[in-house]
Amino acid sequence: MTPLDHVDDYPEIPVSLGSTRAAIKTGDWRSVRPVEVDRTAPCAFACPAGVDVPRYLDLIRLGRLDEALAVFAERNPFPRITGRVCPHSCEDGCNLAAATGDDPVAIRSIERWLGDATAQIPLPQPFEATRRRVAVVGSGPAGLAAAYYLRRSGHRVTVYERRPIAGGMLRHAIPEYRLPSAVVDAEIARLVDMGIEFVTGVELGRDFHLDELAPEHSAVFLATGACRARPVGITGEHLLDSGLEFLETAGLDLSIGRGMRCAVIGGGNTALDVARVVRRLGGEVTVLYRRTAEEMPAIREEYHHAVADGVVFEWLTLPRSVEKGEAGLVVTVEEMRLGKPDGSGRRRPEPTGRVRQLIFDRVFSAVGETADSTPFPANLKNAEGWLEVGPGGATADEMVHAGGDLVTGPATVVAAIAAGREAARLIDRRLGFSDRWASMPHQPVVGPDEVNPSYRSSARRTSDPKARTVDPLGEETLTVAAEAVLVELERCLSCGHCNACGTCFVLCPDGAIRWEEDGPVIDLEFCKGCGICVVECPGRALVLVNEREGPSFDGTSGASSDGRTSGRHGNGEAVLSKGGQVNA
Amino acid sequence: MRWAVPEAEFVDPGTLGCQGCGGALSMRLVLKEVGDDAIAVLPACCWSIIDGPWPTHALRIPVFHTAFETAAVVAAGIKAAKRRQGRDTTVIAWAGDGGTFDIGLQALSGAAERNEDILYVCYDNEAYMNTGIQRSSATPRGTWTTTTPDENPEPRIKKDIMGIIAAHRIPYAATATAAYPEDLARKVRTAMEARGGMRFLHILAACPPGWKVAADQAIEVMRRAVRSRVFPLYEVRDGRHYTITYRPEPVLPIEEYLGLQGRFAPFGADPALVAAARREVDDRWAWLEEQHERSLQPATT
Repeated sequence: MTPLDHVDDYPEIPVSLGSTRAAIKTGDWRSVRPVEVDRTAPCAFACPAGVDVPRYLDLIRLGRLDEALAVFAERNPFPRITGRVCPHSCEDGCNLAAATGDDPVAIRSIERWLGDATAQIPLPQPFEATRRRVAVVGSGPAGLAAAYYLRRSGHRVTVYERRPIAGGMLRHAIPEYRLPSAVVDAEIARLVDMGIEFVTGVELGRDFHLDELAPEHSAVFLATGACRARPVGITGEHLLDSGLEFLETAGLDLSIGRGMRCAVIGGGNTALDVARVVRRLGGEVTVLYRRTAEEMPAIREEYHHAVADGVVFEWLTLPRSVEKGEAGLVVTVEEMRLGKPDGSGRRRPEPTGRVRQLIFDRVFSAVGETADSTPFPANLKNAEGWLEVGPGGATADEMVHAGGDLVTGPATVVAAIAAGREAARLIDRRLGFSDRWASMPHQPVVGPDEVNPSYRSSARRTSDPKARTVDPLGEETLTVAAEAVLVELERCLSCGHCNACGTCFVLCPDGAIRWEEDGPVIDLEFCKGCGICVVECPGRALVLVNEREGPSFDGTSGASSDGRTSGRHGNGEAVLSKGGQVNA
Repeated sequence: MRWAVPEAEFVDPGTLGCQGCGGALSMRLVLKEVGDDAIAVLPACCWSIIDGPWPTHALRIPVFHTAFETAAVVAAGIKAAKRRQGRDTTVIAWAGDGGTFDIGLQALSGAAERNEDILYVCYDNEAYMNTGIQRSSATPRGTWTTTTPDENPEPRIKKDIMGIIAAHRIPYAATATAAYPEDLARKVRTAMEARGGMRFLHILAACPPGWKVAADQAIEVMRRAVRSRVFPLYEVRDGRHYTITYRPEPVLPIEEYLGLQGRFAPFGADPALVAAARREVDDRWAWLEEQHERSLQPATT
């Protein structure tokens, strides 16, 4: 209907024939404006690799699995691997848990499902070829990740591995029940399909030297890991078995009989892996650790699994000597007590002088691993003989980078992947290419006080179902079913990322948000700036910007003192996230 | 979109509702389910203004502005005329709490008693907001308005309009609020399916200026009304069969509803008011649960 031209044209009973849409632009009333922004989610921020969780979850929901994999692979090419073994700090960061007390979204289960569901899809393919060659030494998670990102950058990549088969710690240290070697095989096969070359059975320092790589390669990434077991340093050391070696051959080690009394010295992941493998092979096992459960460096979840498996823990127990006795190996241990925090922030164990003896059939040492820096040339090492490494893994030779456990000491798979990617990013830049890889997600993250959990799903958190298998070392859990993933996806608040849930559209009192095919569009001609869309948005993917100050996104104006957006703006104060980028 | 709410719009933007208007949102959500074969009858109320000044208006359906006390009977008359034309157009009487609880009550009662085939929607913001926040019989006890100032707040409990409506034994009556859009949408659908007789929806609608809350808290305050059981969500069929459609879990302490709104400042000064309000809410809920329970029993003759 259009308004009539002249008052006289209207009938005697006053009739309105025009729409307010043409006549009344209520956008004029506004002093603050909602703006859709992509902000960092706490899960992405907590992830050592910075995987953009809300975005790939959104793509899974839309059924666009290849795109979900591509988003994932921007930060981590191996969801099948980390989906199984990651300590999922993403879930520790989950706002759903912090804001409501609900269990966090089962991100790792979804990740594992995505990895398995896309196992047959090739990983995102390389950019244009660059005619550069890069060598990667070591084929654990850091080496494989670096190889992937270097290859995607268009470089030719050769991975050198000292063992006959690639995979490093993924294959040799992580037990089969946590990460089947078939999964590692498949992931490496995908890298081979991308054109990455693997040369196995050659060892740096034995079969070749670093300077021999120089003529053919533009850069080198060292990722030889931390695979040298640290000695316990006690009398009778020769009577101990290496935990690391045991893990490598666990499938073949038939010496562990039912009821065999075993001990593991240590409290890290290797110690727990050894203990759980022994349990699976039928042995009894006691972990001897000089501190308490609180200070154990092992992945928390693995500790709970170990307890469930029937692993016995002797806390505050420091072995002093091992000797052969008639009934078996006699381990003399001293009781410890916790003193003041040490350099690691954990309370230091102190001797009490109280000593007792324990008897076992076999004792494994697993008190940590260190890197082996003997193969590296002297100019890359410091006075103590360790590889000297700067930010991002740079060494004294600008074309040589290092990363992963080699640099950090034993850490997580995801940390190694992140290090591999970071090294690849820096090497790519050193080779003269402008920033092709995004850096890590930055502060500020969407906080638990900003999200609106009112519309959240009431479904309970899913978990990987237990597998029923006759193989004692077979994978202990199954990948969740697609149906469970779809239910779990609904639990995510999608912090800082609009997943087109429609809440803003439904609740706008003024009809100033249009619904288009792919989501909401704010109609600023009519938006009155009430702010309902901002505070009702489940993941706070909208922020309010003060109209007077204009769209300033450097975070210097309008940001509240804690750098976060604030839920209340009754006084018309502008609020804006630091580093926010305008999408709409 | 993951809400079971239609995408179609029957309200144009450019409405004159205040920022965060619960009444404007309620109309938008109700019309999404009613569709465009409808006529709205507006007595004096906020929506007389919200719809826009002559010669423009916002609703994409015809609107008939009428006198304060006549919404129900005018709607019934228009319905009769439409029936005469052989049309089954939905006629909505859309009135505020003043035009429903107070001034329009006789026409409403008459229409309900005759079981007129209209959809009567009361959007209740608990005072005469349009004229400057004067108390109505829908204003809760203890509330500040310009006619019941802080030192002498509203002395009487809120009138039980749903009880009055139920006493007329109309086919369908329900409470709803825009903070629960799917519940509201489903109740409008149910009301549409019950055409042939009188349908009544009592919609709680936040008024940021009158309730003294920030505009961006309009949805939150309605949600808290439900979560604290101050405004229970339920349906009544044939005036007898009660169904509670949402049970808040956990129940929000009433203070969290009251404390969000400046109009409830007198409660802060008088703990006895809070205790009385809590008692009323608890009694009301217990009574509703009894009705709900009774309605589940097989009919006895």
